[in-house]
Amino acid sequence: MRRPNIIEKDIASVTTLGNLTNVFESLASTQVAKVKNKAQLSQEFFDLLWSCYTSIRVDPKTRITARDDYGNGRTVLVLISAEAGLSGDLDMRLVETMQQNYNPATTDIVVLGSHGASQLSQRGIPYARFFQVPETDSYVNVEPVIEAIIDYSTIIVYYEEYLSLGQQEIRSLDLVMHMKAMSQDAEEGIITAADTIFEPSLNEIADQMEVTMMSLALSQTILQSGLAQAASRFNAMTTAEKRAGEMTSGYTLEFHRSKRGESDRRLREVLVGIKKKRRERSEKEGTL
Amino acid sequence: MSEAPLDLHVIARAPFALYYDGAASAVSAANRIGPFDILPGHADFLTMLTAGTITIETNNEPVTIDAKNGLVTVRDNEVLLFVNI
Repeated sequence: MRRPNIIEKDIASVTTLGNLTNVFESLASTQVAKVKNKAQLSQEFFDLLWSCYTSIRVDPKTRITARDDYGNGRTVLVLISAEAGLSGDLDMRLVETMQQNYNPATTDIVVLGSHGASQLSQRGIPYARFFQVPETDSYVNVEPVIEAIIDYSTIIVYYEEYLSLGQQEIRSLDLVMHMKAMSQDAEEGIITAADTIFEPSLNEIADQMEVTMMSLALSQTILQSGLAQAASRFNAMTTAEKRAGEMTSGYTLEFHRSKRGESDRRLREVLVGIKKKRRERSEKEGTL
Repeated sequence: MSEAPLDLHVIARAPFALYYDGAASAVSAANRIGPFDILPGHADFLTMLTAGTITIETNNEPVTIDAKNGLVTVRDNEVLLFVNI
C-alpha cells in the first residue's frame, strides 16, 4: 500500500484538475450560449437573403454552378474542424467520415482549423490547403477559402452539426448541388428585369450573388461547427470533472485506509516492543 | 422646415446584428456605378453594394453603417439592406 503522504499529493493534483475542468466547463457553457445566439441570428439573415436570391429569375443554364464546363473536373473535400483540442472525439469522427469518400487520385482536401490538420497529419493524409477558422465575432470572412475551392467541380463540406447539448453529428454538404437545388426552389415573389432595375445587370448580380450565397452557406457550416465544438467541449469537460471527482473519492478512501494501516502498523510495533520488554524483564527477574 | 415624410420602411441587418428596423425618409449608399439615393416611391431595385458608408435618414439622428459589401433590394417602399454578406 502507498504511503498516505504520497496519496495526499495525488488528491491535491486531482482536485486541482477537477477545479480546472470545472472552469473549462463554465467557459464552454458560456461559449455554447454565445455561439448559439449568433448561429440563430445568422440563420435568420441567411434565410432572408436566400429568399431574395431565389426570387431572382434568370435562365438556370447561365448560372455558374449550372454550366456544363463548370470546374476543373476534380473534387475538393472541405473539413471544418476546431482551432484547438479539448472538444472530445468530434474532429476525429469528422476525419473518419471524410476518409470514407476520400480518393487521393481525384480528390483534394482543404482543412479549416489546426486540430483537423493535425488529425489528418497523424493519419498520413495530405491536404492541399490549410486555413485558420475565420473569426466569428462580427464577420465570417470565407473569401480566401472560396477562392481556393471555387474552381473545383464538386465541393463537399464536412462539418459538425449541433443537435443538442448532448448530441452533435457529422454532416456533409455538396455546395454546388445545394446551390443548384435551392436556386430552383423559388415559387413566390419572382423578380425579373421586367419589373425591377438591376444595377449593374441582372446576370452580373445573379453571378455575384451565387458566389455570395456559396460563401454564406459555408459561413453557416462554420458557425454550426463552432456551436457543435463548444457543446462537445462542454461534454468533455463535464465527463473529465466527473472522472476527477471519482478519482478524488477513490484516493481519499485509499488515503484513509493507508493512514489506518499505518497507525495499525505502529500500534503493532508498540505492542511487539512492549511484549519484548516484558519478556526481557521476566527473563531478568527469572535469572535473579 | 417641415420634416421629410417617412414613407420608406427600412430593415438593415448584418449576419449577427440588426442595425435598423423602422421608418425612414431616404437611404444613401454606393454601388459599382456610383453613389445613389433611395427616396419614397423609388422603382423596384436590386443592387450589390460596394464598400462605404450607408446612411439611413430617420426622424432622429441619421443611422450610418460602415459596410464592407452588401445587397439592397427595394420593393413597394420596403428597403432591405444586407450588410457584410
